[in-house]
Amino acid sequence: MELKMIKLTKQFGDFTAVDHMNLTMTNGVYGLLGVNGAGKTTLMRMICTLLQPTTGKITCNGKDIYKMGADYRKFLGYLPQDFGFYPEFTVRDYLLYIAALKGIRPAVAKKRAKELIAKVGLSKAANKKMKKLSGGMKRRAGIAQAMLNDPKILVLDEPTAGLDPNERIRFRNLISELSEDRLVLLSTHIVSDVEYIANEIWLMNDGRLLHQGTADELIHSMTEGVWKCYAKKSDVPALMKRYKISNIKSEPQGVELRIISGEKPFPDAVREEATLEDVFLYYFGEKAGADDAVI
Amino acid sequence: MMLLFEIKKVLSKPLNKAALLILAAVLTIGSLLTIRDVHYIDADGNSSTGISAARHLQKEKNQYEGYLTEKVLKQVIQENAALNSSAGAQSDDIQEKNKTAAKGQGFADIREMINLAFGELDNYDYCRIDSVSEDEAGSLYKQRIAGLKNYLNRDDVKDAFPPDEKEWLISKYESLDTPLYYAYADGWKALMDSQYLPTLLMITVLIIGFLVSGIFSDEFAWKADSIFFSAKLGRGKAILSKMGAGFVITTVLYWSAVLLFGFIVLAVLGFGGGDCAVQTGVSNWNSIYNITYFQDYLISTFGGYIGSLFIATLAMLVSAKTHSTVFAITIPFILTCIPPFVGRLEAFARIMNLFPDQLLSINKNLEDFSLYHIGGNIFGGVSVIIPLYLILFCLVFPVLFVVYRRTQVK
Ligand SMILES: Nc1ncnc2c1ncn2[C@@H]1O[C@H](COP(=O)(O)OP(=O)(O)OP(=O)(O)O)[C@@H](O)[C@H]1O
Ligand SMILES: [Mg+2]
Repeated sequence: MELKMIKLTKQFGDFTAVDHMNLTMTNGVYGLLGVNGAGKTTLMRMICTLLQPTTGKITCNGKDIYKMGADYRKFLGYLPQDFGFYPEFTVRDYLLYIAALKGIRPAVAKKRAKELIAKVGLSKAANKKMKKLSGGMKRRAGIAQAMLNDPKILVLDEPTAGLDPNERIRFRNLISELSEDRLVLLSTHIVSDVEYIANEIWLMNDGRLLHQGTADELIHSMTEGVWKCYAKKSDVPALMKRYKISNIKSEPQGVELRIISGEKPFPDAVREEATLEDVFLYYFGEKAGADDAVI
Repeated sequence: MMLLFEIKKVLSKPLNKAALLILAAVLTIGSLLTIRDVHYIDADGNSSTGISAARHLQKEKNQYEGYLTEKVLKQVIQENAALNSSAGAQSDDIQEKNKTAAKGQGFADIREMINLAFGELDNYDYCRIDSVSEDEAGSLYKQRIAGLKNYLNRDDVKDAFPPDEKEWLISKYESLDTPLYYAYADGWKALMDSQYLPTLLMITVLIIGFLVSGIFSDEFAWKADSIFFSAKLGRGKAILSKMGAGFVITTVLYWSAVLLFGFIVLAVLGFGGGDCAVQTGVSNWNSIYNITYFQDYLISTFGGYIGSLFIATLAMLVSAKTHSTVFAITIPFILTCIPPFVGRLEAFARIMNLFPDQLLSINKNLEDFSLYHIGGNIFGGVSVIIPLYLILFCLVFPVLFVVYRRTQVK
C-alpha cells in the first residue's frame, strides 16, 4: 500500500489550509504533529475523500483516490477528531450499521463487531445506547468502527484528545497493537502520543511540512541545545522573551527552567538530553512557549 | 440491512415518536368527527349519531335504492309536497319540525338533487323542489345540462371560458350515465365530501415531512457525516438506502393513515353506496368527473400519495442540500399551508390550482372547472395534476442521490 500526495493543496477562500504537500506513505505509523490550525484535519479529510483538494492529488498505488471511489474507501478506516453517533443506537447496532456502510456482509459483520467490542473493552456496554457513553467509551467505539473492515489505511485524528492519562496510555497501546501491517496516520498535538509508537513523525505548520523523520532524527536535527538552570521567579518574564522555554517548575528556592538555546544561557546551566517535546517547541517556537506561559 | 437501520434512525428519534403519536391522535379524532357528521332523526324527532344511527338511516334511504327514473323522482316530489303540507312542517315547535324531517330522511338526498338540477348552477336554493311540478320530474338530467349551458352563457361567465372549453364541459355533462343509480352512501359521502379527508392528508404529509426531513441532514447534526462519507458505500448504496427509507416511511405512513381512516369511517357508517356516481352527492352534482364514490376514493388517495411523495422528496432534497433539518421541515408547511391563502388572490388562483397542496384535496376539487390545454386536448385539473406530479417526483427523486453524493465534509 502506497499513498502519495502530490502538490496537495486545499484553500478555503483565499486562506490556504494545506499548501503544496508532497509526501509518500507506505506501511507503518506516521505521527502528524502540529499546533492548532496547522492543517492536520484538513489533510486527513482529503485523504479520506471527504474534501476535494483545490489542486494537486492523492494517489493510492498510483491511482487517483477520487477516481477509485468505493474501491479506495474499502481500504479506509477513519476516526475523526470531532465526531458523533446516532444517539439512540446501541454500541452493537452502531457497529453493525457502520459495517453495512462499509459493505461487510451481515454474518461477518456480527463476528467482527463482537471481536472489536471485546478488543476495545466495551463488552459490558455493548447494549448501551451511544448517548449514554462517556467520552472515553465513545472514542473506543470510534476506533472499533474504524477497524471494522480491517483497513489497510487507518487515519486517526487526535485519537487521544480528551482522555485521562491512564486511558491515553491504554489507547496508545491499543493503537500500537492495531497498527501492524497497515498504514497508520495519526495526528496529535500531544508529543508523547507519537514519541513511542510512530515510525516517522511529521511536523506540520501553516499547511506545510516543516520536518519529517524518526524521533531521533528530529531530535538531532535541532541545532540548539537544551539546558537546565535555575533562576529567580522575578527574572522569568525577561527570560521568556529571550529564550524558548520548554518547561518551568517552581521550587522553594526559585524556579527550574528548561531552556532551548544555541549557547549556554547561564554559567551554571547544565546541558540536557533533548526530547521530542523540545523539538516541538524548537520548531513551533513562540506559539508553544506562549501556551506554556499561560499555565 | 442498511435500509432497516436508516428507518430505525428516523423512528428512534424521540421527537419523531411524538409526531407519530400526534398522527395517531389526529386519525382518531378525525374519524370520530367524520362519523359524527351522519345524523339520524328518529320518529320522536331526536337526533343521534353512531353505528346504529347509520344503520337506521341506511334502512330509510335504501327504500329508494335503484335507478333514479322519472317514476322515483315524481314520487319524491309528491312525498315532499305531502310533508310540506303536513301539520308538523307548519308547526313552530322544533320537535314537531324534526319529526317531519325524520319522515323525509329517506329521500333527502334525492330532494337535494332536484333542488340542484332545477336551481341555478352556482346558486343553491333549498326550496327549489317545492315549485317543481311532477311533470317536470322526468327532465332532471336534461335540466342538469341546461343549467350548465345557462351558466356558461351568463353575462358574467360568458368570457371566462373559450368556446372549446364550454363544449368540453358540456360534453362531460352529457356523457354522465343516466339515470343515476341511487343507494345509501352516507359512509362514502362523509368520507369523501367533507373537509376531514383533505385535513387528515395535510396533517399526514406534515408529519411525514417532519420524519423524513432529518434523513439526510441529521448525519451532520449528529456529526456522523465524516464516518458516513468515508465508508465504502457512503457515496453510493448508503444514499440509496436513505432514499429508500424516505420512500418507505412516506408510503407506509400515508397508506396506513388513509386506509385506516377509510376503514374506520366506512365500518361505522357502512360500506354501501361506493358504486354510486359522485353526482348523487350534494357536493359533486356539478362534477365534470363521471366517477363513482369508490373511484373518487381511489383517485383522491392516489393523488394524495403522489403529493406526499413529491412534498417529502422536496423536504429531503432541502435536507440533503442545506444540511438543515429545520429548513427541510418548513418545506411541507410552505407547500401545504401557504397556497390556500395566496390562492384567494384572483391573479394567482389559476397557478395555485396546480400547486402540490391540491393533490391533498382532490375530492374537494371535483366541481372545479379550471381546464388545461395540453397538446391540443383539454383536461380537467384533477387529470392534469396527478400525472404532472408523478413525473415531477420521478425527476426530482434521483436528484437526491446526486446532491448528497457530492457532499463535502468541511
Ligand atoms: N471549512 C473550513 N472553512 C474555512 N476554513 C477552514 C475550514 N476548515 C478548516 N479551516 C481552516 O484551516 C486551518 C486548518 O484547520 P485544521 O482543522 O485542518 O487544523 P488542525 O491542524 O486539525 O487543527 P487542530 O489541532 O485544532 O485540530 C484552520 O486555520 C482552519 O481555520
Ligand atoms: Mg484537527
